Amino acid sequence: MNAAPRAAGPEASDGLDDRRALDFLAELSQALALSIDLNKTLAMALERIAEFMQAEAASMFLVDPVTRLIECRFCVGPVDIVGLKVEAGQGIVGRAVAENLTQIVRDAQTDERVNVRVDAETGFVTRSIICVPLTTAEGPIGALEVINRRSGGLFEISDAVLLETVAAPAALAVNNARLADNLVEQQRMKRELELARRTQKSLLPKRRRDNFPLIGINLPAHEVSGDFYDYFDLPDGRIAFVIGDISGKGLDAAFLMVRTASLLRWAGKEGLAPGRWLERVNTELCETMREGRFVCALVGQYDRRDGNVVFASAGFPPALLQDDEGFREFPADGPPLGIMPDISYGETRLSLGTAALYFFSDGITDARDSLRNRIGSAGMRELVVRHLSLAPEPRLRALIGDLKHLDLVDDTTVLLLQEPRGETAQTLLNLQFPAEAAQMRSVRARLRETLDEQAIGPEMRDRLVLAVDEACTNIIRHAYCECSSDDTISLLLKRERDMLVFELRDDAPTVDPGKIAMRDLDECRPGGLGVPFIRALMDDWKLQPGPGGCGNVLRMRKRLRADGMGD
Amino acid sequence: MNQPSNECVSETLGDYTLVRLRGEVDLSWSQQVRRAILDALGANTRVGVELSEVSYIDSSGIAALVEGLQSAKTKGKKFDLVAVSKAVMAVLQLARLDRVFTIFPDLDAARST
Repeated sequence: MNAAPRAAGPEASDGLDDRRALDFLAELSQALALSIDLNKTLAMALERIAEFMQAEAASMFLVDPVTRLIECRFCVGPVDIVGLKVEAGQGIVGRAVAENLTQIVRDAQTDERVNVRVDAETGFVTRSIICVPLTTAEGPIGALEVINRRSGGLFEISDAVLLETVAAPAALAVNNARLADNLVEQQRMKRELELARRTQKSLLPKRRRDNFPLIGINLPAHEVSGDFYDYFDLPDGRIAFVIGDISGKGLDAAFLMVRTASLLRWAGKEGLAPGRWLERVNTELCETMREGRFVCALVGQYDRRDGNVVFASAGFPPALLQDDEGFREFPADGPPLGIMPDISYGETRLSLGTAALYFFSDGITDARDSLRNRIGSAGMRELVVRHLSLAPEPRLRALIGDLKHLDLVDDTTVLLLQEPRGETAQTLLNLQFPAEAAQMRSVRARLRETLDEQAIGPEMRDRLVLAVDEACTNIIRHAYCECSSDDTISLLLKRERDMLVFELRDDAPTVDPGKIAMRDLDECRPGGLGVPFIRALMDDWKLQPGPGGCGNVLRMRKRLRADGMGD
Repeated sequence: MNQPSNECVSETLGDYTLVRLRGEVDLSWSQQVRRAILDALGANTRVGVELSEVSYIDSSGIAALVEGLQSAKTKGKKFDLVAVSKAVMAVLQLARLDRVFTIFPDLDAARST
């Protein structure tokens, strides 16, 4: 046996050889590192290696990551063996890979390890071989082999050490190229998912601006969603609506969502009663559904002429009705779709009036608060109450905004059915005045009068006046910098049910809301109290650039309690 | 509209200077109030600001009072608020300053301390 494990070191060689080896190695490493077309570079590198090692033939084998077979990818010499495949452990190359050890064959004709088939087929006579593994941190990824010294002599251990040295940058280059390929593949998949996401999103109905009573929002937990909603007009004038949630996540749930959404829309176009509508889709889904999959869905119709709504639910979370008397829940009256054929579904009929009817997937109730507790149906009610004073669309947006601060573990979808209120916002005061401190006294007087007309208690009134005054003086001092006599401020006061909305507009340079000084009221020092006052006195406030990016709009809101006191 | 005019008058009674404010203290003249308070602190060892006739005060007016308090502390002098109106008290409470100032119900109480 003369297979040698990694040699201890080259035998004494003169300085000239060392220098030559170092130059060659530097050149090879650079060529591999700078390579754009690795196949071309490796083929060229192999020729240079054969030349450098003074070998009659050289070949590079790489392990196929899928089949684990070791395949000749490049070769130099009289016989072309590209495409030759060996198994790990088989022949000299197979051993080098399997053992991750350099193999040296001094006399190939008598060495049992040598596969003599190629010689027999080609007439080439193999005398002496060195084969080194291409090693990476994750193990060997191939082997580099040189055959027969051109001078006719035998390969030495020092030759094996040299070959090991040149194999290192080659292994590195091949490994890098494979990692880069993986990255490209990952990016390709990401693009495909993004495309899938967009396609899915395009299936959701467009938001309708014509005072339409239905609004939906879908928030996928990942790229693709298993939730969906839909609404469409029926020929008889009613509006049909659908919301659904596919069990499971990921691409297969997304595909099933596409199929189910199409089925529900197709079956819903006929205006069937909601129970029958679900039955029909259930029958269809049961015929084709894979084991363990199901769909929770709720379908219904709303007639704007008489305000009646009817819906049926297949395992979907309870519908939530909110009106002046509070909340009512309507649980599902049938199992999810796709589990058992020939199921009948009960229907719920309601007169909607001014009430709001929320349909939502369990992504909402499964959202986690900061203590990792499910917010549940109580959490959903709390969110609805928090934004009660808002019109349906901003309310739904505010609700989703709050949800985004929680930990959303699942796709989250809400469909809201509510007749838009008429023009409920009432303008109480619309003032325009020069941006001067001397104006504020009469502005405050006008504001007090207006608030008194709204039967707002004196304490609340004074607090609101202070907040508006502070906002105005901030505009005068900081936004306009007290520089021009033409500067004006306009104050608009609106009331939307129990909500007072104060809107201040100016033409000053746009103020960055992030740069507004915030100080703590507990800090005792003169100045900087204006913004904390506003923050303490109003429910919320928001500073935005004015229309077309000119000036600023400050919107402050305060909800009044039934007795007009607020807080 | 019948608006009582704004007024800032300083009276000195022995070692006590009282700065009497009237009307609505806001940005339009709070600098004047600030000056009057700081001048009084320059001239006397005990200064009070009388606020019973103040129907409104904004954050710039509150800032003038806070500056007076801080200046008095630095100089080792006394600075009080006297006969604080309901409107001013509400803002002091909002700014959490109601316990930072020494507040007397009337001038006699302030002077007898």
